[in-house]
Amino acid sequence: MGLEALVESMGQNILTTTLGKLIGWGRGNSVWPAQFGLACCAIEMIHTATASVDIARFGSEAMRASPRQSDMMIVSGRVSQKMAPILRTIYDQMPEPKWVISMGACASTGGVFNNYALLQGVDKIVPVDVYIPGCPPRPEDLLNALMILQERIKAQGITPRQ
Amino acid sequence: MIAENLIVDRGVSAGDDWITVAAESAHEALSSLKDEGYRLLVFLTCVDHLADSSREWPRRYELVYQLRNMDTLEQLRVRAFVDGDPPHVESVSDVFPPANWDERETYDMFGIVFENHPDLTRILMPDDWVGHPLRRDYPVGGEVVEFSEEHETWQTAPDKA
Amino acid sequence: MTDTDTTVIGQGVTVTKTGETGAFGGELLTVNFGPHHPSTHGVLRLIVDLDGEQVKRIKPVIGYLHTGIEKQAEALRWQQAVVVTDRHDYLSPPINNLAYALAVERLMGVDVPPRAKVLRVIMSELTRLSSHLVWMGTSGIELGAMTMLMYCFRERDTILDMNEEISGYRMHTSYIRPGGVMADATPRFLDMLDKFIGAMPGHVDEYEDLLTMNPIWRSRTMGIGRLPAEDAKVLGATGPMLRGSGVAWDLRKQMPYSGYEGYEFEVATSDLCDCYGRYLVRIKEMRESVKILRQALDRLPDGPVNVDDRKMLPPPREELETSMEAVIHHFKLFTEGYSVPPGDVYQAVESGRGENGCYVVSDGTHKPRRVKFRAASFVNLQPLERMAMNHMVADMVAIIGTADTVLGDVDR
Repeated sequence: MGLEALVESMGQNILTTTLGKLIGWGRGNSVWPAQFGLACCAIEMIHTATASVDIARFGSEAMRASPRQSDMMIVSGRVSQKMAPILRTIYDQMPEPKWVISMGACASTGGVFNNYALLQGVDKIVPVDVYIPGCPPRPEDLLNALMILQERIKAQGITPRQ
Repeated sequence: MIAENLIVDRGVSAGDDWITVAAESAHEALSSLKDEGYRLLVFLTCVDHLADSSREWPRRYELVYQLRNMDTLEQLRVRAFVDGDPPHVESVSDVFPPANWDERETYDMFGIVFENHPDLTRILMPDDWVGHPLRRDYPVGGEVVEFSEEHETWQTAPDKA
Repeated sequence: MTDTDTTVIGQGVTVTKTGETGAFGGELLTVNFGPHHPSTHGVLRLIVDLDGEQVKRIKPVIGYLHTGIEKQAEALRWQQAVVVTDRHDYLSPPINNLAYALAVERLMGVDVPPRAKVLRVIMSELTRLSSHLVWMGTSGIELGAMTMLMYCFRERDTILDMNEEISGYRMHTSYIRPGGVMADATPRFLDMLDKFIGAMPGHVDEYEDLLTMNPIWRSRTMGIGRLPAEDAKVLGATGPMLRGSGVAWDLRKQMPYSGYEGYEFEVATSDLCDCYGRYLVRIKEMRESVKILRQALDRLPDGPVNVDDRKMLPPPREELETSMEAVIHHFKLFTEGYSVPPGDVYQAVESGRGENGCYVVSDGTHKPRRVKFRAASFVNLQPLERMAMNHMVADMVAIIGTADTVLGDVDR
C-alpha cells in the first residue's frame, strides 16, 4: 500500500524526475532576453522575433525592456567605449541566474573594427556563455545559439554556474 | 560676389569646383557665399596632411566646407588651411546651423578649436577621452595582430602615415 | 528658485538647469532617455527637461555607437574599405557602397559598364524598400501597431533573400564596389525580383489599409513633430524629413547618378510637415521604388559587370593559368592594391534617410588619406529639439521614429 499502489492506480499520469531537471526545464524553456540591440545585429535579432523565424517557439518572445525582468542579455552589435560602462550596468542590474549571448563578430571579438573606438569583444567586461560568429549572423544562427544555451541551462539544474 | 581678394586659390578636382581661402577670413567668405545663394552647408570636416607627399601643403590641417546652392544645383568646396597647437578658426554655426554638430565632431576628432561656438565639447568620444583620434599621428589602436604586415604601423604612431 | 545650478547626469554629461519653472510653479524634471531604451532606434541618449508631461528642452547625447569607421578606412586599402562603408548606415548597405564606389571611380576616371549601372540601381531601390520597411515596422510597433512589424519584416525577408542570392550576404553585401559590382545577377535572382515586383504593390496596399485611415495612427502622428519647410532647409535636413515638409528635393532627380536620369518616377512630397506627412512620403517612395525596379528589370542590358581595367580589378581565374601579366596584376592587387591619383571628391547619393555622401581624399597611395561619410542621420537629428518642443513624452517616441535616424550613421 502507499505510494507504489497510488502510482499503479494512476497509471501513466505521473512523471518522476529530479528537482534539478524540473527547474532546468522551466528555466531553459523560458529564457527572456533583455533587449540590447546596438547595431546591425539588432536588426537580425528583430528578424528572429518576427514570423518567419519566430523565437517565440523557444520561449523567448518576451524581450523585456527592463533588465530586471530578464535573464539573458543578447549583446547584438558593436560596443563602443562610451557604451561599455552602460552595458556593464545593465548586466549588473539583471538578477541571477543570468546568461549572456554575444551575437555577431563585433560583440565577440571586435569584428571588422580593430581600432580605438570599440571594445574588442564584450567578454572583456561581462562573462559570455555563447558566442555567435557572423557579420551579421543569420537569424537561424541566433536560434542555434539559444538552443545551445538551453541545453546548457537544462544541464545546470538547480545551481547555475558559479 | 565673394570678394576676389579672399580667394587664395581655386581649381577643379574630379569635377568638383573648389576654392581656397585664408583661415582668418573663412567666416567672412562663407557668409558672403551664403548671401550669394549657397545656402546649404552639406558637410564640414578636416583633413590631416601629416606626411602627405602628394603635393606641397601650406599647413597641416585642411578644413573643408562643402556648400550647395539648392536653386542652381551648383556645389562649391571651400578649403582653409590651419595650423597650431591647437589650431583655431572661427565657427560658422551662426551662419549655417548644421555646422554646430559638425564642428563639435571636428573638434573631437582633430582638436580644432572653433571660436564662438555655443557648446564646443566632445560629441563622439567620451568626455574624458585624451587625444584626437582622426589625427594621423594617433594610432589606429585596437588589438595587436601578430604576424601581420601592418603590425608595426597599425599599433604605433606612424611618422610616415 | 531661479538661480541656475549644474547637475552631472552620469557619463560625464553636465546639464545646466535653466531655472525655468513649470506651468504650476514647480521645477522642471530632468529625465534621462536611453541609451538603453526600446524606443530610440538604437543607442541614442536624450536628456529631457519635462514640465509634467510636456517636453521643454532636449539635449541629445550621441557617440554610443562610435566605431571609428573613418579611421578604419584610412588603415585599409581602397578595395578593402568597401567593407566598412556597409556598416555605418546599416539599414542600407548597398547605398553606402554606391557613394564610396562612385567617389573612387570619379577619382580614378573610370566609368562602369551599363549593366553594372542598372544592377546598382536595382540594388539601391531594393535597399530603399528594405530600409523603409524597417522604419515602418519599428515605428508601427513603437506606437502600438504590432502587426506592422510582422508584415514589414516578412517582406524584408524576401528582399534579404534576394541579397543573399546575388551576393551571398543578407545584409552587409559589399556588393557595389569601385569598378563595378561584385558578381553578376543570377537567373534565379532575376526571377525572384520579378515575383517581388509583382507582389509588392499589393503589400504596400496592405500597409496603407492598416495605417493610413487608422484613427489611432492618425491621432498619434498628425500635428506631431512639425517641421516647417524653411526650418527644414535652414537646418540642412534631407530626405523624407525635407520632402515631408513640401520641398521637392531628391538627389536622384536633382543630381542624378548611375543612370537615374533615365528612369521615370515621381518625387514624393507632402505639405503636412508632420509625422503623418513623412509617413505618406515614405509610402509613396516605396511605390515609386517598385516602379523603378520594374523599369530597371525591363531594360537590364547584357554585357560585363565590371570595368575592364586590370589595374583596378583582378583578372578572371582562368586567365591566371595562361597569362603572366594576369598573375602579376592579381599579385599586385591582392598584396598592395591599386593606387588612386591624388585629389578629392564628394559624391552624394539618396538613401532612405536623405543625403548620404562620401568625401574621399587621396594622396596617391594605396590607402585613402581621408574618407568622410556625410551622414544623413547626423544632420536629421539636429531638428529634433525644434520638432519635439512642447509635445508630450509619448509623442517624443513618434518624433524620434519619424526622423528615421540610424545611430550607426550618426556616430560612425
